[in-house]
Amino acid sequence: MRLQVGYLLLIASPVLLCAPSGAAAEPPVFYRGINLNGPAVVIDGQKWDGNDAANYRCNGNSFENQSVPLRPETDRDRALMIRSSRWGGQIDVDLLEVPAGEYQVCLYVWEDNDSTTFSLSVNDRQVVKKYSSGSAGTWRRLGPWPTKVTGSVIRVSARGGDANLSGLEVWRGSGEIPTQGDSGFVKEPTAEQLAFFESRIRPLLATHCYECHSQAAKELGGNLLLDSRPGILKGGDTKPPIVPGDPDASLLIKAVRKKDAELQMPPDSKLSDTEVADLERWVKMRAPDPRTTDTIAAIKAKSAINWDKASDFWSLRPLSAPSIPPVNDGSWPSNDIDRFVLARLEAAGIKPAADANKPALLRRVTFDLIGLPPSPGEIAAFEADKSPEAFTRVVERLLDSPQYGERWGRHWLDVVRYADTAGDNSDFPIPQMYRYRNWVIAAFNRDLPYDQFVREQLAGDLLGGDTPEQAQERLVATGYIANARRFGSRVTDYPQHLTIEDTIDNLGRTFLGTTINCARCHNHKFDPITTEDYYGLYGIFHSTRYPWPGIELEQKQRDLVPLVPTDEAQRLLEQRKRRQDELEGKVRELEKQRNAAQGESRKSLEKQVADAKQEAARLASETLPFEQAYAVAEGAKREDVAVQQKGDPAKPGPMVPRHFLTVLGGAALPATDQSSGRLQLASWIVDPSNPLAARVMANRIWLYHFGQGLSTTPNDFGRQGKPPTHPELLDHLATQFIKSGWSIKALHRQILLSHTYRLASSRDEAATAQDPANELLSGHPRRRLDAEALRDTLLLLGDHLDPSPGGPHPFPPQTEWKFTQHNPFKAVYDTNRRSVYLMTQRIQRHPYLAIFDGPDPAASTPQRQASTTPLQALYLLNDAFVHEQAGGLAKRLLAERDTDPARVELAYLLVLGRKPAGDEASSALEFLRGVRAKLGSASIPPDQLDQQSWQALARTMFRLNEFVYID
Amino acid sequence: MDSSSAFTGRRAVVQSLAAGSLLMPGLLSELLADSSASDPLSPKQPHHPAKAKRVIFIFSNGGVSHMDTFDHKPKLFAADGKVTGIGGGLSNQQRVLLRPLWEFRPGGKCGTLVSDLFPHLRERMDDVCLIKSMKSDDNEHYQATLAIHTGSFFFSRPSIGAWVSYGLGTMNGNLPSFMVLAQHLPYAGTQVFANDFLPAYHQGVRVVPGPVPIADLDRRTPQREVQEMELGLAGALNRRHLADRGNDQELAARIRTFETAFHMQTEAREAFEVGRESRPTLDLYGLKEGQADGFGWKCLVARRLAERGVRFIELIDGSSSHNWDQHGNMAEHADHAKAIDRPIAGLLQDLKQRGMLDETLVVWTTEFGRTPGVDGDKGRGHHSACFSSWLAGGGAKGGISYGSTDEIGATVAEKRVHVHDFHATILHLLGIDHTRLTYRHAGRDYRLTDVAGKVVQEILA
Repeated sequence: MRLQVGYLLLIASPVLLCAPSGAAAEPPVFYRGINLNGPAVVIDGQKWDGNDAANYRCNGNSFENQSVPLRPETDRDRALMIRSSRWGGQIDVDLLEVPAGEYQVCLYVWEDNDSTTFSLSVNDRQVVKKYSSGSAGTWRRLGPWPTKVTGSVIRVSARGGDANLSGLEVWRGSGEIPTQGDSGFVKEPTAEQLAFFESRIRPLLATHCYECHSQAAKELGGNLLLDSRPGILKGGDTKPPIVPGDPDASLLIKAVRKKDAELQMPPDSKLSDTEVADLERWVKMRAPDPRTTDTIAAIKAKSAINWDKASDFWSLRPLSAPSIPPVNDGSWPSNDIDRFVLARLEAAGIKPAADANKPALLRRVTFDLIGLPPSPGEIAAFEADKSPEAFTRVVERLLDSPQYGERWGRHWLDVVRYADTAGDNSDFPIPQMYRYRNWVIAAFNRDLPYDQFVREQLAGDLLGGDTPEQAQERLVATGYIANARRFGSRVTDYPQHLTIEDTIDNLGRTFLGTTINCARCHNHKFDPITTEDYYGLYGIFHSTRYPWPGIELEQKQRDLVPLVPTDEAQRLLEQRKRRQDELEGKVRELEKQRNAAQGESRKSLEKQVADAKQEAARLASETLPFEQAYAVAEGAKREDVAVQQKGDPAKPGPMVPRHFLTVLGGAALPATDQSSGRLQLASWIVDPSNPLAARVMANRIWLYHFGQGLSTTPNDFGRQGKPPTHPELLDHLATQFIKSGWSIKALHRQILLSHTYRLASSRDEAATAQDPANELLSGHPRRRLDAEALRDTLLLLGDHLDPSPGGPHPFPPQTEWKFTQHNPFKAVYDTNRRSVYLMTQRIQRHPYLAIFDGPDPAASTPQRQASTTPLQALYLLNDAFVHEQAGGLAKRLLAERDTDPARVELAYLLVLGRKPAGDEASSALEFLRGVRAKLGSASIPPDQLDQQSWQALARTMFRLNEFVYID
Repeated sequence: MDSSSAFTGRRAVVQSLAAGSLLMPGLLSELLADSSASDPLSPKQPHHPAKAKRVIFIFSNGGVSHMDTFDHKPKLFAADGKVTGIGGGLSNQQRVLLRPLWEFRPGGKCGTLVSDLFPHLRERMDDVCLIKSMKSDDNEHYQATLAIHTGSFFFSRPSIGAWVSYGLGTMNGNLPSFMVLAQHLPYAGTQVFANDFLPAYHQGVRVVPGPVPIADLDRRTPQREVQEMELGLAGALNRRHLADRGNDQELAARIRTFETAFHMQTEAREAFEVGRESRPTLDLYGLKEGQADGFGWKCLVARRLAERGVRFIELIDGSSSHNWDQHGNMAEHADHAKAIDRPIAGLLQDLKQRGMLDETLVVWTTEFGRTPGVDGDKGRGHHSACFSSWLAGGGAKGGISYGSTDEIGATVAEKRVHVHDFHATILHLLGIDHTRLTYRHAGRDYRLTDVAGKVVQEILA
């Protein structure tokens, strides 16, 4: 979005600090260095304090051994500092009286004898997991770890094996700090060393390494640059490739030796023994290298996002209310939408198709709004209503129907990849998930304004409500976030970062038409989204408590949200606990009596004990005495997170404040805010200055009415997506949408009452030739019934549809759950309710929905595919369900009409929404006679001939293209 | 158009509707003659000429121990009971080493060593290209099973069979291009043969040995003639509808699917009827008279499907709850090996005898190997750091072993073949460049090998 520059700077400045351009970053300032167990020293030109310094304390034991040779070797002061350390399995190093602000912390560690493993945290945030200290003499400067200080303390803790902590180095500010003193490397190479480099090393690196490890690389391998000294000093995703003087400890040497299973370079060839020896020699001579140009900085500068240019893109430009274009044929348009469409058609010299006939239009709009066909009565009424408002009346009737929400709610459930199971390896059921599904259906039916619809799904728990019921509904709405996918089977190392990725991925696509998750590991390759943007959102969900659905190694649900007030929930839980205690007490008492008793009375007591035990067990297995929602809550810790380098949670990078996408203004959570930030996120999304929210939703609504969006990539409004065919029309719809108070039903009315919507689907040859894809909408795009509409219609025609709203699914009781990846939860529950109420598993396709292009339950489905496969034909030929519905329809035809011609007419009205024409009726009758004769000769009893032959006609009609396609 | 005038101005359909024939009239055939545009399953040219035209992909579920089957580790026999730091497997714990339970012997002229678990297969080693340096990235069944099928460890993605169907189409429009013979589902369930974001034509069609191998395959209308009459009337009405709508190709394609489905009722059925095979052939697969289940049946049906032009045939050995996952007692590997050894050897021999092996790539793999160290009493744990797989026919070099593990089979020692490399190589043998077989989905081009994968050149014949 292009904002005024002042505004951009004002809002976005905290974010820009971490934007890759680094434009606003101030160079960090050396704050303190402390030799944890020794005298003051000078390291890399900075004065370090000794262990007697003020505002420093450390609980580790003192240790010093200056005789261990260090690997790599280093300068005298640093070696002195390193070899005098504090050790222990639980060390805390505290710096006190630290002014509030951003800092970066480095820690020197070393090993004096046997390798050990420990983990490190800074202010309780783990920064290194299971660091292995290496062999005797190995030392390392770990960090820098960005740290925000608010409580005047920096605490570095080591836990695990006996760690040796040597020195603490702290910088203030968040820019890049100088790399570790390059003292190990040759500073001023001799002429001889330079000659060696130029003749043996540079050509070798250029031939074998530069393709992937230089500024010129098409794709930089492992973020490692070998084309400059700064690149080598910094290293890539792994630690620096060279330990000066120590070939065996250098990753570069390890890689080219090709002995290590994990690390082998170059990937496609092997260096000769001489080349390997040259590299070893070079490392041994401490890597003399004249290439001092900073190629890292050069690459950074090249890849920096130009924010002004970035926001000058069709989907990111501010919403405009475009002027209505003039048209030649002023009598054709019914409303402004038509003027946008007709202007384009006229410019292309294409004539719009004729209007659809009344039966076709009624069939179209009825399927469109409620996903079911019109009844013969509705067809007759519409045919008979000659007033100009006839169609408006139909639209209003359908919008008021409760089945509207079932149809349009399903569209939304597609986009948010709704499922009734969690998606972990055992695919645990979520018995409470249906509440969110029903909330979505109800929200569409009551035309909940879209901005509020978004707010409630992201932060309904933070909105409260005018009534307790309203507050509960809003809690349920956050099931949107809770429904994010779960992964794996484990508990302690549960990959929450993947669940959060699934959340952000869906949120980006659903509300913003943006593939934010591409920025999890690296800046987005095509769109102006940085890794910092990704982790700016990540912090919000990191600060959110997700419900636990159960997983193989912890089967019980937890952290759901009670749908009763907290104190009421507490009271009920205590009540239940008391009852449980009573029952267990009774068991103990009876057991005591039994143990003392003999003979008959013992026998009777045995039985009493058994009964009491059973009663106690029954209570224990009962579900909680109040209803719960599978919804989110504020997390225990609400805080910013660090970038995870390459998407790896074990590789923390700089801290990122919680904020919105930079290109959309980058609004940040105020520092004083104590919440997760979900409510702010919702308001950033639906802020009228964000052009994406309205554009994306208006495009979706258009898509569902026409079968194709104005932009045909409804989940991707970025550079990889397709720009809209009618950009002004899209902006017109989006601005009208906001103006109407984000009313979805108002947008339906505008679209449905346009002339464009009412066109026939048959286009003339000129139009087809000139615009084969029908992008200009000279006719209504023909489309296939989706899986749900097909199944629901078959049920309706077969007289088996149960129109009541669905409730919970018949999952097995939670007390019996024993799901594993070996025996995952798998079920298909039959129901005659509408298909939106079918139980949907995250990782198992429903057999019917899989055949007819149902939604992907594991990822957002912005638009259904319409594949045509023999399996679909087999289904319509032979599936028991189809035959059953055909039987129902036959029965109904026979019961509701007295003559065969009347029955044929009713069949046509029910199945195709029109009366038979031409020879269709006589053909049907001829077919019935033929089938009857065939069945008679196959000795079908006469009393079944009627039913069976009509059933054959019904099956035939179910296979017609006219039945499954809507004109 | 007003419905009452719906019959004017269209091509005359002279035939009586009720007597409509199933045979495709000229109009429709013409329309679909150049079907590559309208039919996503029509055969497609590969990127480069290739020997393999089809794949039979055998997946042994649960994690087959490499050092007990194809990866001979003499040092491990000797090191039984010792503890080393590289027991491998889950969290890389130290484990007491466990000796393999089976002796190894050379097989074929090439002399590739195979353990006594696979005495029949051992005799076929001249046709087999063994890979001993396979590597996966996850020690969970579910993740590793998903990965060996889709290249993705966590997220649902199209299966390799769906990719091959998408890349090459099918040779027989009357059968699905990707069929999966699975009595029970493996780990990760239907995801292992899902089309995911690829069009639904490419989904694996599951075949369940037993009375109903494919859902809805059998005619439910009791009288064949009545079904034909139904299809005749529907066909005629559909063609009229089509002619009224400018011969829309989508509508035409759907008409044709009914013809295909009609033929599938008999043709696919036929493919499953192994009773037509000769006694010597049945013997090759270890099948008894009238037997219509077991792994022998699956292997024989695989050959019959291959003959009929199915592009990718997967055989699933084991299920998520009964498989090669021997944590407690390695001896149970014998039962699992016995169930598949002879059928697979028979399949290779049968394909060869019929001259089909050159064009048919047979793949055998599992999700990961097992630890050199003991798990439970006498079992082995999960081990993705290395395992064995093999290829046969279809342009793979027979009679060789590729890659190796260290002396106890804990890590890959040389020539690592990651799951992505394995996939890249299979696609290469089919004439597909794995970096060019892409599908645009959700804003980016996806491929089976993600951003990795390298063809293992040395095993190409």
